[in-house]
Amino acid sequence: MDMRIEDYLAEGGVLSNPTNVPPRYRAELMKLMTSFVDSELAGAAGFADIINQGPGIAERIAAARIVLEKTDHAGRVLRVMESFGVDADRYANHHPWTARLDRDADIGATRGNHDMRLAVFNYPLEGWTDAVVMNLLMGCAVAVQMADFQKLSYQPLAEVFRAIAPVEARHGELAEEGLARLMAEGAGEAILASVSYWWPRVAASFGQAGSPRFEALRAMGLRHTGNEALREKWEAAAMAALARVGIQPG
Amino acid sequence: MARFHDLTVTDVTKTIRDAVVVTLQPEDAEAFDFTQGQYLTFRRDFDGQELRRSYSICAGRQEGHLQVGIKRVEGGAFSTWANEDLQVGDRVQAMVPMGSFFTPLDAASERQYLGFAGGSGITPLLSIIKTTLAVEPGARFTLVYANKGVSTIMFREELEDLKNQHMGRFNVIHILETDAQEIDLFTGLVTQEKCAELFKGWIDIENIDTAFICGPEPMMLGIAAALRAHGLADGQIKFELFASAQPGRVAQRVAAKDAASAANQAEIAYTLDGATRTVSAGKETSLLESAIANQLDAPFACKAGVCSTCRCRVLEGEVEMVANHALEDYEVEKGYVLSCQSYPVTDRVVVDYDQ
Repeated sequence: MDMRIEDYLAEGGVLSNPTNVPPRYRAELMKLMTSFVDSELAGAAGFADIINQGPGIAERIAAARIVLEKTDHAGRVLRVMESFGVDADRYANHHPWTARLDRDADIGATRGNHDMRLAVFNYPLEGWTDAVVMNLLMGCAVAVQMADFQKLSYQPLAEVFRAIAPVEARHGELAEEGLARLMAEGAGEAILASVSYWWPRVAASFGQAGSPRFEALRAMGLRHTGNEALREKWEAAAMAALARVGIQPG
Repeated sequence: MARFHDLTVTDVTKTIRDAVVVTLQPEDAEAFDFTQGQYLTFRRDFDGQELRRSYSICAGRQEGHLQVGIKRVEGGAFSTWANEDLQVGDRVQAMVPMGSFFTPLDAASERQYLGFAGGSGITPLLSIIKTTLAVEPGARFTLVYANKGVSTIMFREELEDLKNQHMGRFNVIHILETDAQEIDLFTGLVTQEKCAELFKGWIDIENIDTAFICGPEPMMLGIAAALRAHGLADGQIKFELFASAQPGRVAQRVAAKDAASAANQAEIAYTLDGATRTVSAGKETSLLESAIANQLDAPFACKAGVCSTCRCRVLEGEVEMVANHALEDYEVEKGYVLSCQSYPVTDRVVVDYDQ
């Protein structure tokens, strides 16, 4: 009847509360959660500055809604972290989430020293069109990532991701609608320039192919699809989204 | 931060030979307003060491009292104490109800539920069943309940009462490991194959909205596999696991063998993912930074003493933790530190990220 928790996880078992989470699993789970929370908070904080640059009321509402909902999603995951002892109030304020590097900073996939946001969230947005393009490409990436996250072996977190996945998907749709409007207004060239800026940076956020960490995470049920496969899915989804609004990246 | 509250024991009832149902009166009743399927985490000092154990609430929401079921575990200090020494009038300490082993109820719905319980895994399910049948008059619930034998069935009478009270809406299938029953199918373990057989004629699996599983690990795996094979999505399957291997008594922290010397260097032995490596590092560098500087894949996130991702345990030597916004006192007493905030004091320090 006794079964090692590691074997249980490797066979697809699910954990349901902090009391029997093994130490290394706890650490990887916390990393995953902090990475998500930091990315959402940094993403929302960066986008908040763009709201007023929206060309019309509808655009500003869409942008404000994305900021609101991404902040809410960070809060929901923080509540799961709270059950592991994290001081959520302090966490939300321990870091300047609006901080950005230079537009040309060459950091590859390296994260900053002080938070766990995905590297892509360290780059600044340059105006409305740039922000919409970034949101579309990142929106496709989030959709791909969410599909994997919903299968997580830590049930309380998987449930949060299942609840927020449709809302995150809507953010991608809003970006696509915004981009279609910009295209209609003849912003094709600026869009292409932003696509070529953000494309490699979003692509890098999927990590390296054949990462040894992936196997360890898969054995714990914290990852299911490999980095390479996720990136390929994203490339297909992003290309299709751009094609729908009439953009053919070179 | 987790906070403990005082509760008074108002009743202790033996259900079977080695399990008790404990009724509790919290001082702050509002704080203990629970949702069906949640659990309480208790703490108690045993020989100067704090132990924490979680037990599921077995009462229904509408019953107006707080009750947990505690089954004695071989060698378990807390469950043995609860079964042998706990008495009416005793004061205990617990955190407010936690856990997400439930789905929202809707009085107007006509949902069909399926529950699987193994042994003491019945406790949260009993709470769920009682509450659901009371709140959703159109709901139907089938429980598959696995036990060693007839004598180890917890809440057997309560379940019979519920069947009579909610005629036609609640059904229990007892599966006994050792005691033979009239129907062969009801003897043995609840495996994936056994579930597949049950789904053929005994359970209308196609119309099940939500399934709840609480039991030992192998049983949960088998049932989940069977449910998925029969078309249930991950979101329709709710799990609750209290591993049989909750960490036991902890060994005393090993005292520092050598005092701090004037030298500003320390030898640090890191254990991570089963491997141990010793490095030499400056005492002005945190345990985490020295690990990273030596290409050790130590876990971390915020580096601000807030998130506790970098938690490790000091097995030997002494460190100074300059900030701590995440670990609780009892963890610190056991030697856990936030490695991003901890600096070597003694010349030799042994830390373990795997504990």
